[in-house]
Amino acid sequence: MLLALSEEHKEHLSFLPQVDSAVVAEFGRIAVEFLRRGANPKIYEGAARKLNVSSDTVQHGVEGLTYLLTESSKLMISELDFQDSVFVLGFSEELNKLLLQLYLDNRKEIRTILSELAPSLPSYHNLEWRLDVQLASRSLRQQIKPAVTIKLHLNQNGDHNTKVLQTDPATLLHLVQQLEQALEEMKTNHCRRVVRNIK
Amino acid sequence: MELSESVQKGFQMLADPGSFDSNAFTLLLRAAFQSLLDAQADEAVLDHPDLKHIDPVVLKHCHAAAATYILEAGKHGADKSTLSTYLEDCKFDRERIELFCTEYQNNKNSLEILLGSIGRSLPHIMDVSWRLEYQIKTNQLHRMYRPAYLVTLSVQNTDSPSYPEISFSCSMEQLQDLVGKLKDASKSLERATQL
Repeated sequence: MLLALSEEHKEHLSFLPQVDSAVVAEFGRIAVEFLRRGANPKIYEGAARKLNVSSDTVQHGVEGLTYLLTESSKLMISELDFQDSVFVLGFSEELNKLLLQLYLDNRKEIRTILSELAPSLPSYHNLEWRLDVQLASRSLRQQIKPAVTIKLHLNQNGDHNTKVLQTDPATLLHLVQQLEQALEEMKTNHCRRVVRNIK
Repeated sequence: MELSESVQKGFQMLADPGSFDSNAFTLLLRAAFQSLLDAQADEAVLDHPDLKHIDPVVLKHCHAAAATYILEAGKHGADKSTLSTYLEDCKFDRERIELFCTEYQNNKNSLEILLGSIGRSLPHIMDVSWRLEYQIKTNQLHRMYRPAYLVTLSVQNTDSPSYPEISFSCSMEQLQDLVGKLKDASKSLERATQL
């Protein structure tokens, strides 16, 4: 699958052959850093002064590179497809190789960052449990009522959330049985076939 | 057990064969148990034709006294001798004491279940449901291909009558971790019951 680059995008990237490969590598590093932490405009100005070009040009170059890397990572295109897509830009062999290396080196991390953008539900983090026996209450003395107290740790969008819950022994066994069935499902033929065939 | 004068007076009236003959006594006793334990007991539990000849104020007082005493006895797990002692002090004859103790014994389990269910507790997990999905792509990330589980716990809260649900997603490894920990808890429970 080839990457379709718009005219504007190609224009932004046309800055890259005008600088030497060390600079392109540096731009690549900046692009990934911006994906990790967010853009920092001051860096554009420093680089613009050193290279004797406008800060807009630098910005477009970095953004073009960023977009190239994220689109390629999102679609998970193969090496060959990436090379073919970049070929239309008419860059030198050396630059193409550099861009390919940049893509392959950073693809995994970029995909991890992109996966954080998906809609998400609270996700499981940890479970703590405690065995309790209720011995008496205001309305009934001399009881023996076992219970399991559970602290469920959940994560949502970086926020850590805990819920304290309780259950009785019978329900606990039921929960274990139901969830074990859930785990078993992945091993059935049906699921195996789906996993094998959808790629 | 601490019982008020009102309860004692009520019982003294119940003891008197002049105010309550055998039949009336039995009916009132059964009515007291019924109004406590039967969820569908209606307010007409005292409206029996064989109780019509008794002054309604007296009837209500004795019914309330009996119900109060039954609850107190149930709360403290009173045994037969405790019951007999108190009833003797209220001038109950042997026959009525025996009747009371038999009725109490018959209803003791239900009474304890009822009293045990009153009270505050943490939100209680009632059930779990799960969903297995295979994630293919999002608008930000194509070609994902990984299985994920969505687990929902239905929870009952003593404070509010609502049934909130707690949902969360987890990967296969995380679900294995969760199940492992729950199994530890249930093994620990088994060991504790064998001590």
